[in-house]
Amino acid sequence: MYHLALKMLLGDRAKYIMLVGGLTFASLLMTQQSSVFFGLLSWTTSHLRNMRAAIWVVDAKVEQVNEIKPMRDTDVSRVRSVNGVAWAVPLFCSVLQSKLNDGNFKPIMVIGLDSTTLVGRPPTMLSGRLENVRLPNSVIIDELAVQRLSVGRTKPLGIGDTFEINDKEARVVGICHADRHFFGYPYVYTTYDQALQFAPKMRKMLSVVLAEPTPGWSVERSARQIEKETRLKAYTEEEFFWSTIWWYFRNTGIPMSFGTTIILGFIVGVAVAGQTFYSFVLENLRYLGALKAMGASNGLLSRMLMLQALTVGLIGYGLGVGLSVMFGYAVLGKGQPPFMMPYQLPLFTLMVILFICILASLLGIRKIYKLEAAVVFRG
Amino acid sequence: MVKETTEDPSPANAHALAVHVRGVSKTFGTGEARTHALKGVDFDARLGEMLVIVGPSGCGKTTLLSVIAGTLEFDGGEIDVFNTPLHLLKPRDITEFRKRNVGFIFQQFNLIPTLNLVENVSVPLLINGVRRPAAEKKARALLEQFGLGGRENDRPTMLSGGQQQRVAIARALVHEPRMVICDEPTSALDKETGARIMELLRDIARHPDRCVIVVTHDNRVFKYADRMTEMEDGRVQRVHESLNYYDQEGEH
Repeated sequence: MYHLALKMLLGDRAKYIMLVGGLTFASLLMTQQSSVFFGLLSWTTSHLRNMRAAIWVVDAKVEQVNEIKPMRDTDVSRVRSVNGVAWAVPLFCSVLQSKLNDGNFKPIMVIGLDSTTLVGRPPTMLSGRLENVRLPNSVIIDELAVQRLSVGRTKPLGIGDTFEINDKEARVVGICHADRHFFGYPYVYTTYDQALQFAPKMRKMLSVVLAEPTPGWSVERSARQIEKETRLKAYTEEEFFWSTIWWYFRNTGIPMSFGTTIILGFIVGVAVAGQTFYSFVLENLRYLGALKAMGASNGLLSRMLMLQALTVGLIGYGLGVGLSVMFGYAVLGKGQPPFMMPYQLPLFTLMVILFICILASLLGIRKIYKLEAAVVFRG
Repeated sequence: MVKETTEDPSPANAHALAVHVRGVSKTFGTGEARTHALKGVDFDARLGEMLVIVGPSGCGKTTLLSVIAGTLEFDGGEIDVFNTPLHLLKPRDITEFRKRNVGFIFQQFNLIPTLNLVENVSVPLLINGVRRPAAEKKARALLEQFGLGGRENDRPTMLSGGQQQRVAIARALVHEPRMVICDEPTSALDKETGARIMELLRDIARHPDRCVIVVTHDNRVFKYADRMTEMEDGRVQRVHESLNYYDQEGEH
């Protein structure tokens, strides 16, 4: 009987297309918008991936990784002296102005690395040597910087080229890949001392202390020990990640905005699938009644309806997620809008679509249970 | 599983009876809208006969057909179909009984428009658990027998009314039911086609272990009946044993 159920469904082209279309749209809306949302959130934590460290020590009032409250230079030594810390290095992190060849200015994210260890260095070097960053006035720029800072030049910014950071000359010695920052600032890596030369002078210049626990100490234990002994805030990488994510949840309209769209996708799915499927059942009621009269049990008819609903659901889901993936491939090449689709996301969408289909088929199943087989005798 | 009882519900003529109805009542609605569709109906249908139920609109003939077929619950009374007491069965067992023993022919055919003829005809077999290849093979054979060979893959909408009704009859008979229930089988057909369909149904009723019950308004079909039951106001008024009665009295 199940193949007949599918033929009944596929035979009603208009309803079938509307059902698949509605569920495709719902699936696309939920997956694509969630992916953009996750992509955007992933941008908020780009520092963590671009300057990897086990422990991030910051001012006690800092709640998220993009928040910079300078500390005293001596705080590095205080962290180093904590029991349970293997090593600790300073990191400078600030938005500075760079001057383009056409006279315009662009904000850039300048990262100053400890010149001895280069801890916090770019994750992937595309060209040039990392060690050259120790040379005077040297910087390593990411791909976005190449694109953004090349405005007004005859050829893209490359190794050996110079540009201005805060009225001081910077020479490119390497190009790297870095995850994109939430505000779209290109990453420019240099040494800590050089970064202090580029940046305007302030009483406190230290942004972050990156630390590693002593062997035998867990990261969490070491972080708590740092907090206890220095009164600074010490985050493990994971703690800082979630603290940042929740900060954006609490303090921005991003989750609400995307959440609304995702909920709209769900509502569209429920409304279109529910209504169309219910009307499909109503239009087929006399045939379902005939099947019931011929001895088809409620269970059999319910399973047939469920199969029909799940079939359109899975087709709609496949198309919706497929279109989202195509969108993702298209935009990932361009760099924006942000797009991130962890495997849990299509899984979640599948669950929601299945829920919508089950809900839609339950409306029909309810009708079937209430349907008297004798209805077929009423003209 | 339904077990057909061997107990004799009416010792006098049970061996010849297909359907034995005593004191069946059925009401619809509540309060002032309450309607008594059947008021203690007594009714019999015999094996090997085609019985026609006639009466004015709203007299309860379709309700009676529905309760005999086991598609409608009734309020009181007893119904034995092939010695199986439907009034004692649970709904699930009635469904089981119906799927094995009853074939349906509807006024509007009720052929599923998105399925082809073979698929439509094979439905009762599939409901009875017959595997698809065997069901379709039997459906093809029956369609061939009913003069629809070569059109097995057509959709019902591609056929004339008479051809659709023949498909519906094939569907009603494909699982070899003992009782065939027909609701106004000729009302959507022209005179000639209706006559051919009734001849076909009469031939089907000739089977000694089968019974065909027809509800109709169409007085052209009366001559094909072995017996006729007249209903009025929820009761059986008369049972006519001979067609000659109508031939003498003129049109009913």
